[in-house]
Amino acid sequence: MRILSTVQFTGLRMLRNYIVLLLLLVVPILLITVFSFILAGVETETGEKPLHGVVKIMVVSFQLFGGSIVMSYIQHEFFTAHRMRLNMIPIRKELYAFSIMMCGTVYSILLGVILMLYSQFALGIPWNWAWSIYVITLMAILSSIVCLIFALAVRSFKLAERLSEVYGVGFILLAGLFFPMPDNAFFDFMGSYGNPLMLAMLSIQAIEQSNAGEAWFTANILLGAVVLLFVLMLVLGRRRIG
Amino acid sequence: MQGVVKRYGNAVALDYVDLAIYEGEIVGLLGPNGAGKTTLIQTMTGMVPIERGTIKLFGQSNNPFTHANKEKLGLVTQEITVYDELTAKENLQFFAGVYGLKGSERKERVQEALAFVGLAEYADKVPTKFSGGMKRRLNIACALTHRPKLLIMDEPTVGIDPQSRNHILESVKKLQEQGTTILYTTHYMEEVQEIASRVVIMDQGQMIKGGTVDQLIQSIQHEERIHIDVADTSLLPVEQLQSIAGVMHVDVAGTRVTVISTAGSGNVDRILSLVKEYTGVLGIQTENPDLEDVFLTLTGKQLRDGGGEA
Repeated sequence: MRILSTVQFTGLRMLRNYIVLLLLLVVPILLITVFSFILAGVETETGEKPLHGVVKIMVVSFQLFGGSIVMSYIQHEFFTAHRMRLNMIPIRKELYAFSIMMCGTVYSILLGVILMLYSQFALGIPWNWAWSIYVITLMAILSSIVCLIFALAVRSFKLAERLSEVYGVGFILLAGLFFPMPDNAFFDFMGSYGNPLMLAMLSIQAIEQSNAGEAWFTANILLGAVVLLFVLMLVLGRRRIG
Repeated sequence: MQGVVKRYGNAVALDYVDLAIYEGEIVGLLGPNGAGKTTLIQTMTGMVPIERGTIKLFGQSNNPFTHANKEKLGLVTQEITVYDELTAKENLQFFAGVYGLKGSERKERVQEALAFVGLAEYADKVPTKFSGGMKRRLNIACALTHRPKLLIMDEPTVGIDPQSRNHILESVKKLQEQGTTILYTTHYMEEVQEIASRVVIMDQGQMIKGGTVDQLIQSIQHEERIHIDVADTSLLPVEQLQSIAGVMHVDVAGTRVTVISTAGSGNVDRILSLVKEYTGVLGIQTENPDLEDVFLTLTGKQLRDGGGEA
């Protein structure tokens, strides 16, 4: 019950963190809007609109950075002067850390859903809502876990921040969104099943094409990564926080 | 705590420290920066493990850092540890919640704590809008909502204006009147002189001496202290002054030289004539010793700068 009482305040702190809102909500909305102007009316020979794919990959891409919210709050609570006060409080610290992680993940999902709402109702991008939210949820959880692993594995928070940026930007780069990647087995793998961003996109596209088998397969790879990394995070968390 | 030892690598942070705090008293823990005050707090709250010795908390020495004992403890951290995104009221609601307070009781305690530190009218403002003193007061209030039996205050007045400092000192006295036991660490000797029932002097990880302010001052009453204002301190024969029979210590600060001698040593004329030989004497003053003098005598250091040998 005591941990539950902290959730509302952790949530309030996240909602009032305007920098996070700017970076993970305002910036993607602006980018999506700009692309909607650039790609307005563009259609492929088969009648598909490239804007739909571009907007969807941008919405999913920003989930790669959602974990930085959790990372910064965990760092603030457990690795700054707050640690001393926290140590005096009669609560289980690992549960409190978990509650922060859950808050940050839900917040990241919420921001993703707002982007979906904006893209659908302002720009007319169609979504398979239930499946897309499931995939975004997996991406948000994965990002939170990866960022927490960085925060728990290295002593310097600045280094953890840089690593989290490498995780986000790196997978966008490997997906070939900035420029084409070399054509070999490694980059082929990292541009498809070895890349959480591409797994999420493949899953969303598969469900839209009514290919449920491929959608589940790719989503389950993400789920598997979540489970494996969660175990690693627990081990590191017990060492640093517990 | 008894015989507590804590090392960080080769550095000894606590060196066989003994400290007892009795119900209802304010213990002033006085020491310069780096004396080991914060480490002492960290060990007595279970934040860092000790290497030797025993810690007894509320009569419990075997695993004393239980949740039940933590509920009776309050900590005012040296650094301000409030949440900038939450209002003053929400900050207190957060801390009240983690101590299990709910509903009307939580509301009442939050209002009480805000009023106690004089921030009731700023309840809905965020700390980023506060002055340094107001933030410090909020930091204190965060440790009060659960009405701790033992409140540990780690340098709660660092870097604040005199008005806020007075407010905090008054609050500490009020808390004691309400039955709270307080461990108050500081390097401002006038603060402990004003509020502490008992003072413990700490330096280099060791407890140097303890007692009431009067007892500590009496312990150095066997000394005479002469302040001499001179024209040029650079000309002073410090070594010769120190070699005069009975002189225990010579301290030069600004245009003033302070000579501490054994009481009744009858060396005042000799000291004055020696000083006059080298520079002009502008004035002479004798002074009753205070805690600063106790500290200087016991450790050979000034309390404020905490470092250099005097």
